[in-house]
Amino acid sequence: MDMNEKPKVEEKAEEVAEAPRLPNTKEGRLVKAILEKAPYAEGSIRRERRVEFKVPADRIHEFLEVASEKFEILIQITTVDWLKEGEFELVYQLWSVSESVHAFVRTRIPRENAEMPTVMDIWPVAETYEREAHEFFGIIFKGNPRLGPFILEPREYEKHPFRKDFNMIGYVKMIYGEDFDRYDESKTNYVI
Amino acid sequence: MEKVEVPRELREEARKHDMYLHPIDKDTYELFFGPQHMATENFSIILKMDGNRVEKAIVNPGFLHRGFEKLAEQRPYFTNIALLLRICVPESDVPENIYSMAVDEIIGWEVPERAIWIRNVVLEMARLSAWMFWIMGFGNEIGLYTPGQWAVAYRERFLRLFEELTGGRVYHIYTVPGGVRRDIPGDHWLRQLRDTVEYLKSKLKDFDEILFDNYITFERTEGVGVMDRKFALKHAVTGPNLRATGVPYDVRKDDPYYLYDQLDFEIPVLKEGDSLARVLVRRYEIEQDLYILEQLLDMGPPSGPYMVKDPKLKNLPRFKVPKGDAYAHVESTKGDFGAYVVSDGTHKPYRVHVRGPSQSHGVTVLEELLRGARLADVPVILKTLDNCPPDIDR
Repeated sequence: MDMNEKPKVEEKAEEVAEAPRLPNTKEGRLVKAILEKAPYAEGSIRRERRVEFKVPADRIHEFLEVASEKFEILIQITTVDWLKEGEFELVYQLWSVSESVHAFVRTRIPRENAEMPTVMDIWPVAETYEREAHEFFGIIFKGNPRLGPFILEPREYEKHPFRKDFNMIGYVKMIYGEDFDRYDESKTNYVI
Repeated sequence: MEKVEVPRELREEARKHDMYLHPIDKDTYELFFGPQHMATENFSIILKMDGNRVEKAIVNPGFLHRGFEKLAEQRPYFTNIALLLRICVPESDVPENIYSMAVDEIIGWEVPERAIWIRNVVLEMARLSAWMFWIMGFGNEIGLYTPGQWAVAYRERFLRLFEELTGGRVYHIYTVPGGVRRDIPGDHWLRQLRDTVEYLKSKLKDFDEILFDNYITFERTEGVGVMDRKFALKHAVTGPNLRATGVPYDVRKDDPYYLYDQLDFEIPVLKEGDSLARVLVRRYEIEQDLYILEQLLDMGPPSGPYMVKDPKLKNLPRFKVPKGDAYAHVESTKGDFGAYVVSDGTHKPYRVHVRGPSQSHGVTVLEELLRGARLADVPVILKTLDNCPPDIDR
């Protein structure tokens, strides 16, 4: 009995000392394992099967390389344009097939001359996601050879329509003129 | 075929610069495959052909781009349902559900049990009708037209049920944040659904005889478009395409939503990773989906409301959602289909990003698999990957 009890006490003491806020669940252990290798990141658990990391932009490639050992699939790269803060938020969403956990990896970069290193060498599928983010938001992913017109027409390239300051109605009026002018019932609001 | 006499040095120089637009010799040419080709569905691939072999394939999407994600930022939360469901045409309930699940999570609503049961039944019906549509597309590509005509006739039964439940045949606009828009029309609808499931179950062996156990299917798909497990994971391939390479990943088992953790079903997995394995995995999944629907019908709809009760719902155009973000995903017939919704506390979403499964298996993977394939195998590879162009364009 004594033999069994001793190690238990030691384990508990270790957990409290190292990571007091991470519970001893599969998510907690996963976050802990990654944070040990990447101490510059912040990690937290959102809920069951959802974890979150915040990483500085200059170390994102390094971090994703560490994370790719546990998370096999890069689900998507979402760009959110925070116009007031003057920043783009890039959310790399990962899925771990072995652990069944979804992870958000968040980083922020300035809107002006936004540049990021590519993660194509870790997940080749990032090529598609980065092409899309480049076309819609104008972020340049260094090392991706296929940045250029992808989904949009060539004349719309470099207009970056998904940015919050893109004048959508103005663009529609410019391209289609009065042919497609539509107003709501009160004739005051222009609707697309 | 007679070759035009071109000096070898010139030909090599041209190849270095990727110049194929004008044929250098009679065997090398550039071919625009789609968007008018039946197999590609509003999608185009530029093939650089060397005789009958594809030397290089470049995917050329964008014919279906309508800027849904941008438009969704300009509209109130509930109006977006009628917009986002158009992202996935053959199973439009999938975008409705992922968007509603994400918004539910941000608000923190507990969706009533009855609504969850109805949503689950609708999702499974959508899967089955999408499988039927896929059988038609795949059968047509390999020259077997009969099973396709049967399949579309069986899909019609599901469309009729959808019409009675939701009012729409293809686009339903039915699942909304907080529940569903209408209740089940009555017990006769449940009886009709059970009849349909049993009818389809009895017809599966006909499909086996004419399509899945057919010599032509084996000849055309075996060893075509092979990918291995590591390649599939690195390229974020999901759904039946991933399961055909030996990875048992299914959102319904690994990240259970709705009632899937209470249901008993299996995940068919094959190891070969070629087109035949992808076809057979889909065949087994049709059987599992029928089995799931049967279990749901045995369970029966729980009593109670079908929509959350919230005083804010009285003014839908000004309905505000608290600050936050959420990611929700479901297993569609194409793979892992997810939506990421960001709210800044106003009545319109700040950002909606939809992750279509074809984004990963319809661009880089397709380009890799087509390299070295015969021209006749191009539609087979396209259809066994089950590429859905609106996922890519959105």
